[in-house]
Amino acid sequence: MLHVDNLSHQILKQVSFTLERGENLTILGSNGSGKTTLAKAICHLIHNDRVNIEGQNVAHLSAKQRAQYLNFIPAKLSIYDEYLTVWDYLKLNILKEEQAHHVDTVLALLKIPHLKNSRCHKLSSGESALLLIGGAMIHQALYTILDEPTANLDQAKKVTVYRLLKNSPYFQNKIVITHDLNLAYKLGYTILFLEEGSVHYHGACEPFFEQTHLKSCFGNSIKNVDGNFVVNYDETL
Amino acid sequence: MKLFSIFLAMVLIAIAPFFGQIDLHFGDMLNGASSSHILFWQLRVPRVLLSFFSGALLSLAGLVFQSLFRNPLTTPFTLGVASGATLGTAIAIVFFAGAVFWQYLFGFGGAILTVFILFLISRSLKTTQTNSLLLVGVALSFFYSAALMILFFLSDFSQSYSIVRFTMGSLNIIGFDFVYPVAGVSLLLLGTIHGYRKELKVLLASLDFAFLKGVEVTKITMLLLLFTSLAVAVCVSVVGPIGFVGLIVPHIIKTLYQKSSDQLILPTFFYGGVFLVVCDLIARNLGASSDIPIGVITSLLGGPFFIYLILHRNRGR
Repeated sequence: MLHVDNLSHQILKQVSFTLERGENLTILGSNGSGKTTLAKAICHLIHNDRVNIEGQNVAHLSAKQRAQYLNFIPAKLSIYDEYLTVWDYLKLNILKEEQAHHVDTVLALLKIPHLKNSRCHKLSSGESALLLIGGAMIHQALYTILDEPTANLDQAKKVTVYRLLKNSPYFQNKIVITHDLNLAYKLGYTILFLEEGSVHYHGACEPFFEQTHLKSCFGNSIKNVDGNFVVNYDETL
Repeated sequence: MKLFSIFLAMVLIAIAPFFGQIDLHFGDMLNGASSSHILFWQLRVPRVLLSFFSGALLSLAGLVFQSLFRNPLTTPFTLGVASGATLGTAIAIVFFAGAVFWQYLFGFGGAILTVFILFLISRSLKTTQTNSLLLVGVALSFFYSAALMILFFLSDFSQSYSIVRFTMGSLNIIGFDFVYPVAGVSLLLLGTIHGYRKELKVLLASLDFAFLKGVEVTKITMLLLLFTSLAVAVCVSVVGPIGFVGLIVPHIIKTLYQKSSDQLILPTFFYGGVFLVVCDLIARNLGASSDIPIGVITSLLGGPFFIYLILHRNRGR
């Protein structure tokens, strides 16, 4: 169980919610609404004492224990070491030796075995995004927070990632941050909608996507066309 | 190619003690009382060993600092550790004239004191502010330089000369007394850094990434910096501030190997040692009456080569 209790930091205002074990979450909200800040606070990349996991305060966990519980996948791969290869990067995600054999499997699942010996610095943004997800699949934290995992992907790769999120045994509990409403809808996870740092909606997926409710969150910028959510470019805002 | 260069380096180290201003008489070599025997075993061999381990230590220290600070210009010298040693030695030269022992002690003390000042300050800095620590180090260096100027002002001619001579670095030793501490500390440093190579690699990937993988970023960074600085303090108090080795050797190795830092630890250590042995070999054999200071050779030789490498690397991209 993951419990955030009255967390206020920078933009975030008194954010509280509970995620039961086995329950996944999608965090939605406009740019600057505090999604990434919330994710970093949960993972303790932003230090705080408002997050409890399995009844333990994350601030009091050992570094190793925290790594077992929490992982955060940023929207962009940022590697300082210019010579680090894809293979090296994936291997650095191994927390327990018995996970070592997963590296090849994960490369195959993401359909990027040919990039094995490429340097991380030479990857395209789409390939980097896949590599980040691959890292998460090897790390296998109890809770994995993925920040816009499909933002830089072409359509085919979006489907690959969607399927991995939906079915892969390599993820335990998932928290997905996204702007892609179709992805959020298809995943069907519990929705947490942030507005200017406050929780505006926390609940089941279906009611969130009802037309009237959607309008209260996004105005007229989204329209529902045959069950798909498309950006309404003609709308004068 | 790799094996050949290791072989070549080994040969260079092996023949280095046989060259110098005074020719050795090979016939006398086995005679314990002959001047050739004494020259070889009490001057040349200790000197080559001291060069090797000093070069290895300073190069590896440079690699660690450049990696942890993520700044290609950082070496323990940039943080003021060497300036601290210089100031300490200068104080001993001016106020304890003639007593060589005090020079070593004060040199070491100056370096250690700098390390502790840096770490006291760093405790109030956050991990992400490693560059602030660098700035503190630069500020300390300037402070030490100013203090050194005062000492120059207070000292007489021969003392001034001794201070200047120390700042140029010297590998001139007699016997093995000073080889053991430098060799021991450099091997200890190699073992430590090698033991932390995985952490070093994760830290170099990304600090947030390292944090998420359960690495205690601040603790490991500080531990490695402290240990490396202490090792440098030992070395500098013996051989003086031999600059440039720690800066260029890691870059040369990185350019040649094109690998992550964890795979450069051994090559940097080994070729750093070889580099200083070669520099010292040149220093000992160029001068007409006495050795050219080693610091001069490292910079004279290393500077142009370094610039060549940088230009070459950029052209390749």
